Amino acid sequence: MAVGVDPRATTSGASPTSGSGRSGIAVVSMLVCAAVLARFADPVRIGWLRNLLVVFGSLLVESTPFIMLGAAVSAAIEVFVPSSAFEKIGRLHPALQMPAAAAAGVAFPVCECGSVPVARRLAAKGLAPSAAVTFMLAAPIVNPVVVASTFVAYRGRSDLWVMVIGRFTLGFIVAMAVGWVVGRVRAGEFLRARDVDTEAHEVRQDEPRWARFFGHLTGDVVFMARFLILGAAIAAAVQTFVPQSIVDRVASLPVLSLVAMMALAFLMSLCSESDAFVAASFVSFGPAAQLAFLVAGPMVDTKLSALYVGTYERGFLRVVILAVGATTLVATMWVQVVFG
Amino acid sequence: MTHWSHPRVAAGLVLAAWAGLFWFLLASGRTMLYLSARTAWLIPCGAVIVTIAAIGRLASARVADPEPLGRRETWSLGVVVLPVVIMLALPPVTLGAYAVGRRSSFSAATLGASARIVSGPIDFVDIAASQTTKEGQAALRARAGEVVTLEGFVTIEAGDGPDEFRLTRFIITCCVADATIAQVRVVGAPPGSVVSDGWVSVTGRLYPLGNDVLIAANGTPREIPVPDNPYLTP
Repeated sequence: MAVGVDPRATTSGASPTSGSGRSGIAVVSMLVCAAVLARFADPVRIGWLRNLLVVFGSLLVESTPFIMLGAAVSAAIEVFVPSSAFEKIGRLHPALQMPAAAAAGVAFPVCECGSVPVARRLAAKGLAPSAAVTFMLAAPIVNPVVVASTFVAYRGRSDLWVMVIGRFTLGFIVAMAVGWVVGRVRAGEFLRARDVDTEAHEVRQDEPRWARFFGHLTGDVVFMARFLILGAAIAAAVQTFVPQSIVDRVASLPVLSLVAMMALAFLMSLCSESDAFVAASFVSFGPAAQLAFLVAGPMVDTKLSALYVGTYERGFLRVVILAVGATTLVATMWVQVVFG
Repeated sequence: MTHWSHPRVAAGLVLAAWAGLFWFLLASGRTMLYLSARTAWLIPCGAVIVTIAAIGRLASARVADPEPLGRRETWSLGVVVLPVVIMLALPPVTLGAYAVGRRSSFSAATLGASARIVSGPIDFVDIAASQTTKEGQAALRARAGEVVTLEGFVTIEAGDGPDEFRLTRFIITCCVADATIAQVRVVGAPPGSVVSDGWVSVTGRLYPLGNDVLIAANGTPREIPVPDNPYLTP
């Protein structure tokens, strides 16, 4: 069992504990400064800062329970499900793995933040990258909670079933298409390696199962939380400085309206369980543009981008953005041709 | 012989800090500053889940050969706990006039001609919904001239007269990030009687004018504290 030692501390001649001790003091000082500034400098009297802090806090408070849930499922898979179960699935032809992975999303009622740690763990356990990605992208759209919220948001409208069935179907198809594109990489080149010392701190194989479960759970949460915080900060900044009215100008333009709604979904970083209500408020856009918003948003947005960068190898984010954008655009253009 | 593992204790304490934030939001009633009535259940659920995770990590924090806490790991944990510190230190705060110019208007076709617009007490959700459907607009027009009381915060737009302002509420479905606006124009208020971002209660006669809804104020708008539930949920 490797024992983690901070290499920078040892090479500089200082003991590891003195290096981390200084860092600890610096971190505590930073936190105290932040608390004093937040409490006594009255930052909320500045309009944009107040807006940014409220949206940032709101995104974090809403996402954290789902990240916890996703990490708990991920830890349970690691500790309680034998690798052989995934090896069997991994031996299936990818043409069978991907629809099965997308269909599995129906039984996983969490938003997009929760599906990332689960997909990471599935890939680490031997599931083909194509299937893991298909699951990750499909689950936040095809699960029953999101189907129900889309139904409620569009209830009473003439395009109710276009939106509900269209979102489910396009979510399924786009997830598989992107999974197929991403699946061309080898499993070893897919996941970003975690720090060896961090992994060693989290879990030891000679520990009881419950301790390993909490080790993996904590490790995943702390790992994901950094990227979630970064993504939430960027999304809050975008919501603070970019007025939503700028996209209204392209509402009547056939292809640009689809691209604009995908871009808006990317910037707003809404939860897939609530985005239908926001999409429904864009009454100047047709059903195709609203579907573009509802399909692309839960698959890739500002908040998720930070999570993807932290979870997957370099280049993954670029491929996902291009693949999701292209397939959603083509699919919704067909919807636009048929339904306007 | 086992000893405390510093990385595990630190990670457990970070989770405990997050659990503390969720319990604080629950106990202080600040849930509604971030989430809607539909998603408020996330706070107690989050509090319980994170607390269990923190206890589990701390309970497994004693090991035979403890490792030191690396510098990079220390900073990572600091970043994760930073939002907790900021949210705990901030006073209660809501979206305000700054956000109004950056948000879309609320639309809910299903509420267009709801029973409340036809005969019940009117609130901002009904008014906003009536602005997006013909049925709702007609139902509200039938009640033109009725006296209503609405509570919201003040926004003043360029071009508003000295006795005019907009009374605004945000409507959220899940969290503040999905906020949309509902707004009426108030006229006949004594000049200088309101300040931007201040919360007021306005009583006056309601006049729908196309997509605009106008309230002719009866006297001076009454200042009120920020309500416990500042956002509306459809």
